[in-house]
Amino acid sequence: MAMNKKAIALSITSIMAFSLVLSACGSTNSGSTENANSAAPASSEPWKKEVAFTIGYATGDPATKQAMADAVSAFTKANPNIKINDLSGGGTAAYLDWLKTKEAVGEFPDLIEMRDTQLFAEAGKIAELPQAWLDLVADAPTLNDKHYTAPIIGAYPQGIIYSKKAYENAGVTAEPKTYDEFLAIQEQLKTSGITPLTFGGKDIFHWGFWVNKFFMDNMLADDPNWNSKRTKGEVSFSDAAPMQAMTDFTELFTKGYVEKGWASTADNQTASMLVTGKVAQLFSGPWMFAQISQADPNFDFGWYPVPDRKGRVIVSGANNLQGWAISTAANGDADKQAAITEFVKFFFSKEQYTKFLQAVNGIPTTKEAIQYEASPQMQRVLEVMGDSNTVKSMMINSFWGEDQMPTQWRNWFYKLAQEWLTKGDFSAEYMKKADAEWDANVKANAAAK
Amino acid sequence: MANAETIPVASNGAARKRKRFSYSVLFILPAFILYTLFVIYPTLNSVNLSFTSWDGVSDHIRYIGFDNFVEMFQSERVYNALKNTLILSITLVVLENILALILAILVDQVRWCKSLFRSIFYFPVLLSGIVMGFVWTIIFNFNFGVISQVLDKVGLSDWKIDWLGDPDYALLAIIITTVWKGSGYYMIIYLAGLQGIPPELNEAASIDGASRWQKFRHITFPLLASAMTVSVMLSMIGALKIFDQIAVMTDGGPGFATETLTYIVYKVGFGELRQGYGTALSLMLFVLILMVSLIQVKFLRKREVQM
Repeated sequence: MAMNKKAIALSITSIMAFSLVLSACGSTNSGSTENANSAAPASSEPWKKEVAFTIGYATGDPATKQAMADAVSAFTKANPNIKINDLSGGGTAAYLDWLKTKEAVGEFPDLIEMRDTQLFAEAGKIAELPQAWLDLVADAPTLNDKHYTAPIIGAYPQGIIYSKKAYENAGVTAEPKTYDEFLAIQEQLKTSGITPLTFGGKDIFHWGFWVNKFFMDNMLADDPNWNSKRTKGEVSFSDAAPMQAMTDFTELFTKGYVEKGWASTADNQTASMLVTGKVAQLFSGPWMFAQISQADPNFDFGWYPVPDRKGRVIVSGANNLQGWAISTAANGDADKQAAITEFVKFFFSKEQYTKFLQAVNGIPTTKEAIQYEASPQMQRVLEVMGDSNTVKSMMINSFWGEDQMPTQWRNWFYKLAQEWLTKGDFSAEYMKKADAEWDANVKANAAAK
Repeated sequence: MANAETIPVASNGAARKRKRFSYSVLFILPAFILYTLFVIYPTLNSVNLSFTSWDGVSDHIRYIGFDNFVEMFQSERVYNALKNTLILSITLVVLENILALILAILVDQVRWCKSLFRSIFYFPVLLSGIVMGFVWTIIFNFNFGVISQVLDKVGLSDWKIDWLGDPDYALLAIIITTVWKGSGYYMIIYLAGLQGIPPELNEAASIDGASRWQKFRHITFPLLASAMTVSVMLSMIGALKIFDQIAVMTDGGPGFATETLTYIVYKVGFGELRQGYGTALSLMLFVLILMVSLIQVKFLRKREVQM
């Protein structure tokens, strides 16, 4: 694993192949589109009629935020008669909170990066996708046999982004084959005098990376219907598997593997923590690669997935309901719908989409094959995603239908985890609270219908 | 004849009164309409929503009686938020007013650069709560913050505190920030009060041999009572409604450690999709602010001195 800078010569990797592998491995409750028509190309003629629409997307990751803003800017430059009012923002707030606030104040975006699709679809806030959108993407998921979202990128896996220098100094020479080996590496790093892990605990979404890794390893990969069983009261968070999941998570902190200031470290500071040598590793996804290289172009780093105790590689990689969606209001306005469709065509056009994917290290979702220069770290990601032994699961909040988690439960649970970690008193009592909150949320959501 | 003369006078007076009344109504009407639309109607609608299970997204609204209120009074989280709100309110009112009073007295007595000092102390008030929150978040940051970096430089790394990530310090960090931002505003109120005290009173007391403390105790302080009533009431209302700093600096955390009533209303209403429950909580906050304000006004008015 010694660093070889010359080996970082970028190679052309056909990512489309892996994207199709991903599609084939999609969750059983997702549907797939089978459009015979070829993807409609974005119009080369500038748009004639003056139309304005609003757009909203998640801004938590700086690279994605920039790539989205660049796409909007390039589109409006090519189509001066279409005005796009970019509402995106929200700072450190969870994306759902931001979107919900926008909805409440009557500013629900016309074109939305939708994550909590089932919630907004059932509330009638987003419309079924126009056929022109479905023609563009390879595998638009379905909810109740309807398409509400066009996936912006393929599902991302999380893994360990590590400093090769720190590993070398600690004498770590190979990727771990089991979770226990991973823990042994943490001890080695700690003994060598470097804090093993950084954790962007200030940003609530960052909690999902580790929490879901353990939930997937212990429950969700083996039982994709765990959520619906929880709703029916057949399983509990205080059962052995979820308890083991959160015990493993807690031990990363109690054993001193995570930096001391984790609770006030923001997600966008984790790259700085890594490149400045304050820590040796970060658990995150490929979207961080660009940020890390930007922070220090000479920083040599690698990526690998963290195996579970049995040695299985389980990653968040199954298709989910997230993607571009159109609001019901905008869909009812023919001009707006046409202008938004024009933007979506532009976004997924080969030239623009390639730029976007390269900026965010994304996995393509279009029917049209996309190729871009992948860094060695990204190649490793693709290798893992293309490996038939890799188990692709989903984060607890990504399931839908009967397996949908009560939407409000996730952020509440992350806060609960903050509480037990700062108090240092994790116990089954907390997990019983998680059950109670889940049940209360299910009841509240049922009452709201 | 007498009757014939008085009747027109009386009717003129009545006509004038009617005219004056019409003008009054005309002047009041635009403000009344706006106030009704943007304050009274939403408030009444809030009362209505507090009896529903509305999630804030769907078009369907279902009435659930007093369920929201029952849950509110049984919730540990709400009691924790109430406790934090009271701690913040009492601490902020005391600290902001003491600091504001000290600053006002100092600025009032300084002989040179009075305007400069007044501007410097007032400057934080002009900053947006969000911007200020971000700035202090950077200052308090455990890894990259100014305080931590200074401690690292002088070899006191063990003294570093995760101000915003430690439940024992997070509320304190918010108090420090809010006092820094708010005191300048109350200083201006006290300064106006100080400048309204006739100088003859202090001069006469000096001739009678009163010490500085005696003059403050028996002249300045009693005559500042009306300024104090306003200042204490405003700072109390501000503290009860505190939101920006918490949203930006801690998001109510770590865990639920810095959640206040205002913040929980937002989190529950928007983040947790329970607009009905959030509205019930906001009604409790409304009643709390009303009660505290009434008690304060009644108590503080008693010690005001008419000049």
